[in-house]
Amino acid sequence: MAAVVPAGPQISLQGVQKTYPNGTVALRDVSLEIPKQDFVFLVGPSGAGKSTLVRLLIREEKATAGSIHIEGQDLSRLKRRHLPYLRRKIGMVFQDFKLLPNLTVFQNVAFALRVTEGALRHLKPKVEEVLSIVGLEGKEGKYPDQLSGGEQQRVAIARALVHDPRIFLADEPTGNLDPATSWEIIQLLLQINARGTTVLMATHNREIVDVMRRRVVAIEGGQIVRDEDAGGYHAPALESH
Amino acid sequence: MHRLWNRIDFAFSSAWQNFWRNAAVSIASVLIVWVVLLALGSLLLVLHSLDQIVALEKTKASAISVYLADTTPLSSAMDFKLHLESDPRVSSVEYVSKDQAMARFRQLPALDPSVIDTLGTNPLPASLDVTVKDIRDLGAIDQEVRTSPLVDKSPATNYEPNVIDKIILLARVAGIAGLVLIIGLTGLSVFIIMLTIRTAIYLRRKEIEVMKLVGATDWFVRWPFIVEGLIVGVVGAVVAVLIVGFGYRPAVVNLQSVLIFVPLAFDPYYLRVVLAAMLGFGLLLGSVGSYLGVRRFLKQ
Repeated sequence: MAAVVPAGPQISLQGVQKTYPNGTVALRDVSLEIPKQDFVFLVGPSGAGKSTLVRLLIREEKATAGSIHIEGQDLSRLKRRHLPYLRRKIGMVFQDFKLLPNLTVFQNVAFALRVTEGALRHLKPKVEEVLSIVGLEGKEGKYPDQLSGGEQQRVAIARALVHDPRIFLADEPTGNLDPATSWEIIQLLLQINARGTTVLMATHNREIVDVMRRRVVAIEGGQIVRDEDAGGYHAPALESH
Repeated sequence: MHRLWNRIDFAFSSAWQNFWRNAAVSIASVLIVWVVLLALGSLLLVLHSLDQIVALEKTKASAISVYLADTTPLSSAMDFKLHLESDPRVSSVEYVSKDQAMARFRQLPALDPSVIDTLGTNPLPASLDVTVKDIRDLGAIDQEVRTSPLVDKSPATNYEPNVIDKIILLARVAGIAGLVLIIGLTGLSVFIIMLTIRTAIYLRRKEIEVMKLVGATDWFVRWPFIVEGLIVGVVGAVVAVLIVGFGYRPAVVNLQSVLIFVPLAFDPYYLRVVLAAMLGFGLLLGSVGSYLGVRRFLKQ
């Protein structure tokens, strides 16, 4: 794929609409631009369309109307056989971690390299590198069920980092974690962002959003209702009802 | 090179794990492949034997042997030979003495010469081998020679009307029945392999989800399942090939000892062709079954 990153926003949505086959309209006329190295919170109630937006960005779903560009690439025109290479540019973590229970920490992370045919020679140093970024040195041989929730999410983050992604998507990454652990995960995402990776985090976690004072994009009923540069979880009192 | 090796290694080790993780289903699919190939191999060999018999019978079709009673003097036999040769329907007549008949008999493939030696006397009659110009006249000539006092009565001739037609019919019936059976079993085995692959995919659904998430290509995800189907095909084929390969010669020998006058022969060249066909068909069953399995269930 093209190594040249074109000028303009790294992620761009123009008039995006998503209607599921059963008729549910998940997104209507969503336009959003995210520049490189941005850190964005995506907030809104359940069913507002946050997850749909995330799924559209990794093209697990196709937009019904409108266009989505990632690094200048039009996702609606992306051929299916090129899809894996888009996924390698995007690191992704979820509320439920999606770790493989029968593999160790090391194997879980290495799995992402193995199945994308990364050269096996570079596998060990790369896995060790990402495990040290997330602070899991010494836990390589543990199985997921021997780890705390926070540690499991760190493994998932390490796995998402093995391809040196330019974009990091986190869908409710702290949804299953206690507040203290959630903060540790947020610190890790900030650290990843500081290394030059764009981070988009969908969340319900009001406290984190309010304290961080980062860009907040709020979605309700499939539409962007607010986009503030140093926002909180809720709109300022003046605008709220 | 490194990447290719990684791909092969991953596909084979996953396929092997899949095979044993749902061992019951895998073994069922191996068994059905085995049955199909056994049926295929046996059918091809049986049809080939019938072909051999038909070919041989056809060369004999325009001739009958008229067996002479042991009491018939050679001069009478020669007169009878001349009489037959003067018949406009007959093209040639050959006299076969008792000794010549015995010499021919000894050449039958399945006969143990020591058994013949224990007989002491020669039980075989001398004969006049009559070749006709038109096969349709054979019946009439058979009827005429039977009335001659020179002719042995048990049996008088080796005339067997329609024997070729019967064999050809038998070959055709066996061929069609075998083909129907094999087509049915083929459909069943493809279906069962497909089911095996679907089970394997279901058991690996979490891994497949993660693979797609981190950017594995469609073919990287599919290969382990295709390989699993091929393993099923190859294992089933190898067992069937061993049985047919080692069983063909003993089967022919045993049949020869029962059906002494049926010209069955062991044909090693044709056996190799059949074994290769079985192996190829096993691979085909495995790949088609697994392809159908992954095609429907690894689409997004």
